[in-house]
Amino acid sequence: MRWEWSEVREMDDQGCPRCKTTKYRNPSLKLMVNVCGHTLCESCVDMLFVRGSGNCVQCDTPLRKSNFRVQLFEDPAVDKEVEIRKKVLKIYNKRDFDFSNLREYNDYLERVEEIVYNLTNNLEVEGTKQIMEAYQRENRDIIQKNKAKLTREQEELEELLLLEQQGNEQRRLETLQEEQRQLQAKRKSKQALLDELERSHVPATILLAQHKDRAAQLETQIEKQKQVVKTTIFSTGIPMGQTVSLLTVNRLEEVLYHYQPIHMHTYGPPVPELEQLGRLGYLNHVRTAQPQDMAGGYNSGLACHRAIQDAFSGLFHPLG
Amino acid sequence: MFHISSQKKYWTFDNEESLEQLRCEANQKYRNKMLASGKPGVSDAVFLEAHEENVLFRHYEKRLLDFCNAFKPVMPKSVVGTAIMYFRRFYLNNSLMEYHPRTIMLICAYLSCKVDEFNVSSTQFVGNLVQESAAGQERALEQILEYELLLIQQLNFHLVVHTPYRPMEGLLIDIKTRYPLLENPESLRKSVDDFLTRVTLTDSGLLFPPSQIAMTAILNSASRAGLSMESYLTECMGLKEDKETLLKMYDAMRRIKSLMKKYELPKPDEVNAYKVKLERVHADFGTNSNMKRKRGYEDDDHVAKEPRMTEEEWTDEDLDDL
Repeated sequence: MRWEWSEVREMDDQGCPRCKTTKYRNPSLKLMVNVCGHTLCESCVDMLFVRGSGNCVQCDTPLRKSNFRVQLFEDPAVDKEVEIRKKVLKIYNKRDFDFSNLREYNDYLERVEEIVYNLTNNLEVEGTKQIMEAYQRENRDIIQKNKAKLTREQEELEELLLLEQQGNEQRRLETLQEEQRQLQAKRKSKQALLDELERSHVPATILLAQHKDRAAQLETQIEKQKQVVKTTIFSTGIPMGQTVSLLTVNRLEEVLYHYQPIHMHTYGPPVPELEQLGRLGYLNHVRTAQPQDMAGGYNSGLACHRAIQDAFSGLFHPLG
Repeated sequence: MFHISSQKKYWTFDNEESLEQLRCEANQKYRNKMLASGKPGVSDAVFLEAHEENVLFRHYEKRLLDFCNAFKPVMPKSVVGTAIMYFRRFYLNNSLMEYHPRTIMLICAYLSCKVDEFNVSSTQFVGNLVQESAAGQERALEQILEYELLLIQQLNFHLVVHTPYRPMEGLLIDIKTRYPLLENPESLRKSVDDFLTRVTLTDSGLLFPPSQIAMTAILNSASRAGLSMESYLTECMGLKEDKETLLKMYDAMRRIKSLMKKYELPKPDEVNAYKVKLERVHADFGTNSNMKRKRGYEDDDHVAKEPRMTEEEWTDEDLDDL
């Protein structure tokens, strides 16, 4: 992970503590961090540790050149912590399923954090180192087992990534080839047209029409090819061709629904249907609808029907 | 349609006695409530009897009818019918002493305009109270808006009222189409209208389906004009075979006619005497001040209006000369 943008922005802030100016003039110069947490630019490292080992400029701890790593974070302290954490976790590599309950796991993590904190801030370094050694001795086999597991997982992940990459590559090549083929086909047909125009005695318009037909055919062919994507796997993840056993579904027999028309009790004589009103002569006695009424969907039958319905509803209402 | 309406289910009763019963119960309930509350000056003599309430009810009902008839713009008959029906239904379950009829009267008219889609703005509505000043109209409007929800509640939210006017039109159309024996049904229209107006002032709306009332109106007017329409029922309605239903129909018509005959305008001196009593009851035990705060602002003291105890409410005289 390269924090390039931060380098670009804070070029003035980050300076090599030794040669100070060189960082400004050479933005591509990288800072290196060591176990003590202090930074030095690349050229200074080369200069100071020409013999392989020396002392840190700021804190005078004996250092080796090989311990210098390229700085990833703005704050060198973070880099230092990251290094320490990596080392600690190589030893303390238990995982959540190694513990019987959550509480124990959390306690374990707490211990790990404390060790990392102490080492980073140079508190009780000796004591912490002793604790670490004791732990290592006690849990040697567990550490080994976990290490093995970890490597296996990493390998699997890498395999998947590799597969994906290969797939991408293949697809890219295929599309390139397709395009090449299409271009060639087009060029050929154009050339053929020109040749025919030269040679043959058929009038030019007919030749042009033929050429157009051929071009259209070519287009459809290309389209069809594009659509033929080999599907080897269903969207649910089941690969094609795999037989899936289905349990027989129980047949549910239900009674078929039978429509019963609604019967409304109007307590009165039957009302003629809306459609019949005109025929029966009712509409003669109702005010005819004006054109502006009809535009809204009104017709005189509606008012007539409603009046008749109201007149007949409840006429034979039973009395107490 | 009437046959599936709430009017048929809940507001059509079997006989006049049950109506009387309900009114007596309402009266009694109010009395008990007041007696139990233990306010000073409470005694049985102060309250109105059921028959006295009846007299006042008829009086205010007539005034409602006059108000609606004088309404500008002209109120359609169905709106008037609905308003009177609301008034009647309200006082079936409530006592006149609890809610003063002159307020309820206007609210019935207002609600009925809304329900029947006769669109009148509230200002236009109170503008019809010609005796009032603008401030008086404002106050009336406020009162109307306060009690409106109460009215809807007491109607049990059954707001659709089926009046006999459309059935009457339908029957006329049917007669013209299928019953050529009657030469000119239009000539009956005026007397039928008259009959229907008089019928709304009776309890018929609460006892019979509107189509039966309309039928009664038409048959009655025809017989008054000397035209015979007996065969209409037997032939056109297909009741020749069905004697039982025919008898029931005749019975219903007879009862409606008798209700109409029984109706009489209340006598003025009686009315005045009872009115005095009513006013006294309202002044002493009236719950007017409680109603004024029911706008939903009860809890926010700083928003609520102050009770208008000091201002006079508009009185009956303001409605005179409508």
